[in-house]
Amino acid sequence: MQNLELIFFIAFAIIAIYSAIMMVTRRNPISSALFLILNFFAVSGVYLLLKAQFIAIIQVLVYMGAIMVLFLFVIMLLNLHDENKLSESITYRKITAVLLSILLMGLLFVTFFFGFMGKKSEIHETAGTIGKAEFLGKELFLKYAFPVEIAGLLLLAAVVGAVVLAKKKFE
Amino acid sequence: MVELNYYLGLSSILFAIGVIGVLVRRNAIIIFMSIELMFNSINLSLISFSSFLGDVTGQILVFFIIAVAAAEAAIGLAIIIALFRNKGTVNIDEINILKW
Amino acid sequence: MNNFTEILKSINSFLPELSVITTLLLCLIADIIIRKKSPIVTIIAIAGLLVSAYFVYMQSAVQESLFSGMLVIDPFAVFFKYLFILSSIIILIFFEFSNEIKESTHKNEYSYLILSLVLGAFLMASSVNLLMMYLSLELASLTSYILAGYSKSEKKSSESSMKYLIYGAASSGIMLYGMSLLYGFTGSLDIYEISRYLATNPTPNAFIYLTMIMIAAGLGYKTSSVPFHFWTPDVYEGSPTPVTAFLAVTSSAAGFSLITRLFLTTFLGSTQIVDGAFSIIAGIHWQEIIIVISVASMIVGNFVAIWQKSLKRLLGYSSIAQGGYMLAGLVVADTIGLTAMLIYLSAYLFMNLGAFFVTILIVNKLGTDDIEQMKGLGYRLPFVGVAMAVFMLALSGIPATVGFIGKFYLVTALMKPGAGYLWFAIVLMLNSVVSLFFYLKVVKSMFLERADNTDELPGIKFSVQSYIILILLLIPTIFFGLYFGPIVKLAESSAVLFGIR
Repeated sequence: MQNLELIFFIAFAIIAIYSAIMMVTRRNPISSALFLILNFFAVSGVYLLLKAQFIAIIQVLVYMGAIMVLFLFVIMLLNLHDENKLSESITYRKITAVLLSILLMGLLFVTFFFGFMGKKSEIHETAGTIGKAEFLGKELFLKYAFPVEIAGLLLLAAVVGAVVLAKKKFE
Repeated sequence: MVELNYYLGLSSILFAIGVIGVLVRRNAIIIFMSIELMFNSINLSLISFSSFLGDVTGQILVFFIIAVAAAEAAIGLAIIIALFRNKGTVNIDEINILKW
Repeated sequence: MNNFTEILKSINSFLPELSVITTLLLCLIADIIIRKKSPIVTIIAIAGLLVSAYFVYMQSAVQESLFSGMLVIDPFAVFFKYLFILSSIIILIFFEFSNEIKESTHKNEYSYLILSLVLGAFLMASSVNLLMMYLSLELASLTSYILAGYSKSEKKSSESSMKYLIYGAASSGIMLYGMSLLYGFTGSLDIYEISRYLATNPTPNAFIYLTMIMIAAGLGYKTSSVPFHFWTPDVYEGSPTPVTAFLAVTSSAAGFSLITRLFLTTFLGSTQIVDGAFSIIAGIHWQEIIIVISVASMIVGNFVAIWQKSLKRLLGYSSIAQGGYMLAGLVVADTIGLTAMLIYLSAYLFMNLGAFFVTILIVNKLGTDDIEQMKGLGYRLPFVGVAMAVFMLALSGIPATVGFIGKFYLVTALMKPGAGYLWFAIVLMLNSVVSLFFYLKVVKSMFLERADNTDELPGIKFSVQSYIILILLLIPTIFFGLYFGPIVKLAESSAVLFGIR
C-alpha cells in the first residue's frame, strides 16, 4: 500500500512538472492552456493522495471547468495563433530571471529542509475526515461565514469590473 | 512513504516554474496562466500542510484562493480584451507607451 | 449554534462596514435605474460614507474582536477608517471635476468601485487573520485594477491596468506563499496565535526571514515601496488622474495599516508595552527588512523623481519616497513611532490630495501633465499656481505646513536615545533636502520660466466650485501646520493596537 502511494505521487509529480514546463515554453497559447489543464489535473490527483477530496473536485470544476475554459475562450476570441507577432528571444534579462527563480526554489528547499525535515512523516489521522465536503461545509458556513460573505462581494466587484472593462461603448 | 517534504518540494518546483513564466514570457495571456500556476502551487503547499497537521484552516484558505483566482482571471481577461481592442496585441514588449 | 449567536452579536459592531456595503449596492441599483451620467449616484455614495463615519465615531474607544477572531475594532482601525472615509469623499468630488472621467464611456460605475475599495480598505485596517487579510487585500486590489483601466478608450489607461494586474497578482502570489509557510510552521492563520507560537517555540531564523520577505513583497507592492514599486510610476501616469489620487492616498494608506498590524502583532513576544515600546520576540529582526525597504524607497523615490517630465509620474515617485518616510515610523516599534506614522499619514492625505486636485485642474485645461508645458502657467492661473506651490512645499516638509509636522514627529521618534536610529533620522532629513529639488522644479516651471508667448495667452478661469474645493484643501494644509494639536492628540490616542497593552 505504502509503495503504491509513492508510485502514484511520483507519477502525478512527473506529469505536473512536465506539463508546467511545457506550459511555460510553448509558443502557441492554446497548447499552453491545454498543458496547464493537464497540470491542474495532475495536481488534483495529488490532492486526492493528501485526502482532500472536496478540494480536488473543486479544482477540477472551478479551475479546469471555469477558469481555463475562460482562458481558451479569450485566446480563440482574440485569434492569437499568429506567432510572428509574439517573437520571443533569449536575452540576458531572461537568463537572470531563470537563475533568480532557481535560487528562490533552492531557498525554499533549504527552508523546508530545516523547518520540516523529520517533523511530519505521515498524514494526520484526521485528514480523511476534514477533507470531506460535510466537514468543510460546516466550517465554512459557521466559523468562516463572514469571509464567505466578503468573497461574495469580491465576486460581485469582479463581475461589475469585467462588464465595465470589456463591454463596448454605450451610445 | 510520502513525506511532507516531497509535497512541499513539488510545490516549490511548480512555484519556481510559475515565477519563471511570469518573468520570461512576453505574451500577457501566458503570463496570466503562469500566475495561475503559482496559485496552484500555493494551494498544493497549503493542502499538504493542512493534511499533515490535521487542521482544516489550510483547506479553507485554499477555497478562498480559488474564488479570488477566478475573480482575478475574469478581470484579467477583461483587461486583455480592452487592451487588444486598443492596441491589437497582447505582447508586453509592444505595450510601451508607458515605460515598462 | 454558538457561531450563529456570535455572528449576530458581531453585526452590531459591524455597522460602519455594513453601511458601506448597503451604499455600494444602492449605488449599483441607482446606476441601473438612472441609466445616464448623473451626480445623484455620487451624492448617495457620499451620504453613505457620512453615515458610516457616524458609526465609526460611535466606536471611538471600543476594543472588540468580531466574527470568531476575523476582525477587531481598536482605535488604530478607527483612525484609518476616518482617513479612508475623508479621502474617498474628497476623491468622489474629484471624479465630478475631471474631464477624463466625463469623457469616458461609462456612467456612474466609479462610485460603486470606489465604495468597494473603501470596504476593502476598512477590512484591511481591522483584520487580524491571514485569510481575512488576503481576502480584503484582494478586494481592494481587484477594484483598483478596474479603476486604473477606467477610461478604456485611452491606450495608456488599459496599459496601466494591465501592468498593475500582472504586478499585483504576481506579488500577491509571493505573499501567499509566505503566508502558507507561516501557516505550515505554526498551524494557524490567526496572527495572535502565530505570535504565541513563535514566542514559545524555537524558530529557524532563515525560515522567519524568508517568510517575512515574501509577505513584505505582497504588502510592499500595495504601499509601492522599493523594490516592489515598478508598477507605481506607470500606473500613476496612465490612470485617470482622480484614480491616481485614490491609489496614492487611500489604497496605500490601507497597505500601511495592514503592514503595521501584521508586523507589530505577529512578531510580538509579550502583549505588554514597556516604556511605550512593543516587545518583539528576541532574535527576530524584522525591523532590518523594513529599514532596507524604507531607505531604498526614500532614495529611489527622491532621486528618480528629479528626472521626471510628467507631473503624475513625478507625484508617483514622490509617493514612493513618502511611503519610505512612513515606514520609518514602524521601524522604531514603539507608540511614539506609531503616532508619528499616523500623523504623517493624515498630513500626507491633505497635501497629496491637494497636489492631485491641482493636477486634475491643469490636465483639464491643458490636456497634458507635461511639466515643460506648464511654463509660465503661474501667471495665467495665479491662485491655482500659488496653491500648487503650497502643496509642493508641504510635501517637501517646509515649516509652517502640515508636512513639516509629520516629518518633525518622525525624526523625533527616530532620535529616541538608545535606539540607535540616529543615522536613519539623518538619512531621512537629507532625503527631504533632495526632495525639495524636484518639488521646486514644478513651482519653478510655473512661475520662473516663461513660455515664448506667455503674454499673449489669456488667463485661465475655473469654476467657483473648483476654487472652493481648492481652498478647502489648502486650509488644513496650512492650518494644521501651525496649530497641530488636534491631529497629534488624535494620533496619540489612536496608536493602540487590539490586545496589546
